Amino acid sequence: MSDPIKLTVDGREVTAPGGQLLIKAAEEHGTYIPRFCWHPRMKPVGMCRMCLVEVEGPRGKVLVTSCTTPVAEGMVVHTKSDVVKKAQEGVLEFLLVNHPLDCPVCDKGGECPLQDQTLSHGPGESRFVEEKRHFEKPIAISELVMLDRERCILCARCTRFSDEISGDPLIEFIDRGNHTQINTFPDEPFASYFSGNTVQICPVGALTATPYRFRARPWDLEAVESTCPQCSVGCRVSVQASQNQVLRLIGVDVDATNQGWLCDKGRFAFEHLRAPARLSTPLVRGADGELHEAGWGEALDLIASRIGAVIAERGPAAVAGLGGARSTNEEAYAFGKLLRGVLGTGNLDASLGDDPGAALLAGVPHRATIDDLERAKTILVWGPDLKEELPVLHLRVRRAATALGADVVVVHPRATGLDRDAAHVVRYRPGEGAATLQRLAAGEGDLAAVRAALDTGPVVAIVGRTGLAESADLADAVAAFALTLADAKVMPVARRGNVLGAIDMGVHPHLLPGRVAASDAAARAALAAAWGCAVAVPGRDTSGILSGMADGSIAAVLLLGCDPVADHPDRKAAAAAFDKAPFLVSLDLFLNESNRTADVVLPVDTFTEVEGTMTNLEGRVQKSNRIVPGVGASRPVVEILEDLAARLGGSIGAGAAAIAKEIALVAPAYAAVSWEALDWGRGRDGIVVAEGPFTHTPERRATDPSVGALTLHLGRVLYDGGTMITAGPSLARLAPEPAAHLHPDDASRLGFAAGDRVTVTGNAGSAAMAVAIDPTLARGTVYLPFNLGASIGNGLEVKVEK
Amino acid sequence: MTWPDTTLARARDIIARYPEPRSAVMPLLYVAMRHDGRLTDEGMRQVAALTGMTAVQVESVASFYSMYKRHVGSHVVSVCTSISCHLLGGRDVLAAVSDATGVPAGETSADGSVTIESVECIGACGGAPAVQVDYELIEGVTPDKGAELCRWLMTAHPEVVHGDDLQTRFGGRRSFPAGPPDPVGAMGPYPAFGPLGTTGGEA
Repeated sequence: MSDPIKLTVDGREVTAPGGQLLIKAAEEHGTYIPRFCWHPRMKPVGMCRMCLVEVEGPRGKVLVTSCTTPVAEGMVVHTKSDVVKKAQEGVLEFLLVNHPLDCPVCDKGGECPLQDQTLSHGPGESRFVEEKRHFEKPIAISELVMLDRERCILCARCTRFSDEISGDPLIEFIDRGNHTQINTFPDEPFASYFSGNTVQICPVGALTATPYRFRARPWDLEAVESTCPQCSVGCRVSVQASQNQVLRLIGVDVDATNQGWLCDKGRFAFEHLRAPARLSTPLVRGADGELHEAGWGEALDLIASRIGAVIAERGPAAVAGLGGARSTNEEAYAFGKLLRGVLGTGNLDASLGDDPGAALLAGVPHRATIDDLERAKTILVWGPDLKEELPVLHLRVRRAATALGADVVVVHPRATGLDRDAAHVVRYRPGEGAATLQRLAAGEGDLAAVRAALDTGPVVAIVGRTGLAESADLADAVAAFALTLADAKVMPVARRGNVLGAIDMGVHPHLLPGRVAASDAAARAALAAAWGCAVAVPGRDTSGILSGMADGSIAAVLLLGCDPVADHPDRKAAAAAFDKAPFLVSLDLFLNESNRTADVVLPVDTFTEVEGTMTNLEGRVQKSNRIVPGVGASRPVVEILEDLAARLGGSIGAGAAAIAKEIALVAPAYAAVSWEALDWGRGRDGIVVAEGPFTHTPERRATDPSVGALTLHLGRVLYDGGTMITAGPSLARLAPEPAAHLHPDDASRLGFAAGDRVTVTGNAGSAAMAVAIDPTLARGTVYLPFNLGASIGNGLEVKVEK
Repeated sequence: MTWPDTTLARARDIIARYPEPRSAVMPLLYVAMRHDGRLTDEGMRQVAALTGMTAVQVESVASFYSMYKRHVGSHVVSVCTSISCHLLGGRDVLAAVSDATGVPAGETSADGSVTIESVECIGACGGAPAVQVDYELIEGVTPDKGAELCRWLMTAHPEVVHGDDLQTRFGGRRSFPAGPPDPVGAMGPYPAFGPLGTTGGEA
C-alpha cells in the first residue's frame, strides 16, 4: 500500500490507501457494495459480478467490478446509480436462474447473503420460467461437509480457500457451462483439516456442516465471543447456542490470531460438551471398589478429610497437583493457590512432559507474536508438524510463505504440511537432532544454502518438540541457535490450550503467578502477604510427582482436567504411578485412563460454561465467555476449589471474577489485564502480557544419544484418541488407525510391504499394527502417531518385527 | 506410477517444455488418454502426481474441455454443424454418418470403433461442410463421402489417420487448396502436435 489517495464515492470525497480495492475502500467509508465471491482474506476473482459499480472515465461511465479495481487518484465512483441498480438486478436474476429457492428448508436461511442481497438489491421477480438444473442433493463431500450443488452460485470462495489459504485443493469446478458444479474427485473426499471454513464462507446454503444441519435457525441462536481452547493458538470464536446447547462455532476475524479461520477440530470439538459420557454428578469410590454417584457435600468432605489426614501424617510434601493446561487462567490460579497456599505443597505442574519445557515456554527472551509472521523474511520451523498440532498457526505460516514472500525452513523427520510451500526442507532422524543443529549452524555441506537463508532477517523461529521421543533439550538448543540469528524472535510452541497460561498462573514447581521464580524467598513472602497464608517452597515437577507416586512418597494427588496416563510421553511410567493408587481426586469432564482409579471424580464446567481468560502461545490473554450452563450437577472449578479450601481451613477467593482481579494484583506480567479491558474495543483482540520477570536463556546443551539402526519418531496427529475428539460423534470417526511408517528403503531392507502386520517394540512395550510406507520419512526412522491406541513408550530405540 | 517407462519419459519431456509442471496438464491428459484408450480416474491421478496438482484440479481441466473423453471409440468423427457447415449441408453429413455407424451424435458404435459427435466451428468455413477424424481435418465432405469414411474406419481399423490422405480420399473443396502439407497423422482421438506428436508419434 502506498500513499493515501483521494476519490469520490457517490459524491462524497474519501481517502484510501493506494492499491486498496474499491470495494474495501468504499466499505471502510460506510458504503457497502453487495458481493458474493469477494472475501477480504482471499485474492479477488470478480466471478459473481455482484459488486458492479460505475466509474467515470475518459469515455464516459463504465461498469467495473469493484472487487478487482484498485482505487486511483481522482476516481469518481457511483454505487447507487440507475445503471448500477439495473446491473445488480440483472446479476441477481442470473444467479437465481438455477437457484432452487428452497430457503424454508435451507440451513442458511436467515443469514444468507444471497437471500439478504436479493431482498436489498434484487429485481423482485424473475423472467426465468424454464426448468432449473437438477442435481442429487445433498451429497457428502467429506465426513463433515455436505454439498448441495443446486444452491451453489459458483462464486469459487470454497475452491479458492482450499487452494490459496489451506493449500489442500480437494474441491474444484467440474464440467462447464450450465453443467458447472463444485465437486471432489470421485474417490478423494474433501478430507481437509480446514473444511469447516468453506461452510462458514459459503454465501449460500450449498455447503453445510453435518454437526449443525437442521439443528437451529439463525434467529434462534444466542452468541458470545470466546477463545477456542483446543490448542494454544487461541483462535477467536463466536460460540452460538440455542436452548442451552452449543450448536456451532464460527471463526471471528482477528488480525492478530486466526484471521477468521478455524481448524475443524476447534470448530467441531464442541460436541463433547453434551456427549452422553460426560460426567454430571460427583463420583465417590465405595467400599465395593466401584465409583458411585454422590452429593457434592459428601464428595468434598471426603476429599478434605483424606487430604487433611495425609498432610497430618506425612506432611504437605506428600500431596501433589497436576493439570490446569486445559483450564482458564482463573481456574489454574485457584488450583495453584489451593496447592501452594492452602495445602502447602510445592508439588504442582501444568506441563505433562510433552512440551518443550516450562522454562522455554514462559521465559524465552524475544518472544515472537503470531503477527510477527506478517513481517518475517525467514521463518524457521523446527518443531511439531504445525498442521497436526496448531493448525491455524500453520495457516499463518503458510500465508507468510505463499502470500507475503517469506522463506520457510522446515526441519522435521518427515514431510510436514508446510513442506510444499517451504524454501528449504531438512530431514533428520530422531536422535540426530543435535548433530543436525550443529551442521545447520555451521552451514556444512548440503545445509550451506539453508544456513544462508537464515541470515535474512527478520527471522521468526517456531520451536517445539518435533516428536515426543526426542528430548526437550533439543528445542532449547534450537531456540538458543535461533536467538543468534539476525533480528530473530522465537516462538516456543506447545499444544495444550492454556499451558502457558497455567504456567503463568504458577502451576509449576518453580514459578509463582506472573512468572516469578518460586525460589525467591522475598517473592514468596510478598505472595504470602497477599494471600494471607504461607506459600510453599518449590517442590516436584510432573516426572518427580509420577516417580513419587510410584515410590509411595506422594500419597494424595489432585488432577485438574489432566490425563497423564494418556498424555504423558512415557505412558508406561505414568500408568505405573497411577497403579500405586494414592488418594486420587480428579476434576474432569469424562472418565479417562488416569481417573478410572480415582477415589473421587468431580464433574466440572468447562469452555462455554465458565467465564475466564486464556493465555495463548504468544502470551496473548483473551477472554473466554459463558453461554450455556454445565451438565447436571457439574460446577465451576473455582467454586469447587473454594469449597474444598474452606473445608481445609483456607480460602482461594470467591468466584472467577474476584480471582481475575487478584491475578492482576499479584502477577506482575498480568497487571494490565482485566476482564473489562478484554471484553471491549481493542481488548477483544487480547492483550499480550509483558515478558519476564522470569527469563530463561536457552542453551545448546542437547547431545545425541547413541542409537541403533531404527529410531522412533513419536509425532501427534490432529485427530487422535483424546477425550474431546472421541467423545464427539463427528470427529471420533476421523482418527486414523495406528500404523508403523517406514521409509521404503528400510521397509525393503527389513522385508516389509505396506499393510504387513508387524510388532513394534519400544522402551516400554510392544504393539501390533500395520506397516505404512512413507517415502518422505528420514531413513532409519519409524514414525508412529501418538495417542492412537498403540503405546510403546517414548524411548528412541525401536524394533520392528514380523 | 502405473505408466510404463517410455510413457513416463514422454510425459517428463513434455513437462520440461514448460516453466511450471502444472502447465503441462493438457498435453499430459492426451498422454493419459492414449495410455488407457480413454480418460480414466487412474490416468488423471497419474497426471496429478506428475504435475503436483490434486486429482480434482486435473479433473477440473479435463471436464472443462470436450476433447478429453471418458467414453470414446477407437476413432472420433466430429461433424461440424456451425453456421457455414450448417448452411452447406453439415446436418445431412451428420445424418449420413449416424446412418452408416448406427449411432446418434454423442455415442459410440457397438463395436467400439467409432464415436460420432456434432461440434461447433472447427475453423474450416471456407471448405464447409467439414469433418474431423481424430482431429485431422477433411473439408468439402458430402453425405455419401461421410458415410464411406465411417465404413472405412469401421472395417479397415487404420492405426494412423492422416489429414492430407483423408482429404484426398473423402474430401472436396478446401479453404486453402495450396496449404502446406501436414506430415503428422493421428493415432487415435488424441491430437498430435509437433513432429513426434504429443502422445509419441513413433509407434
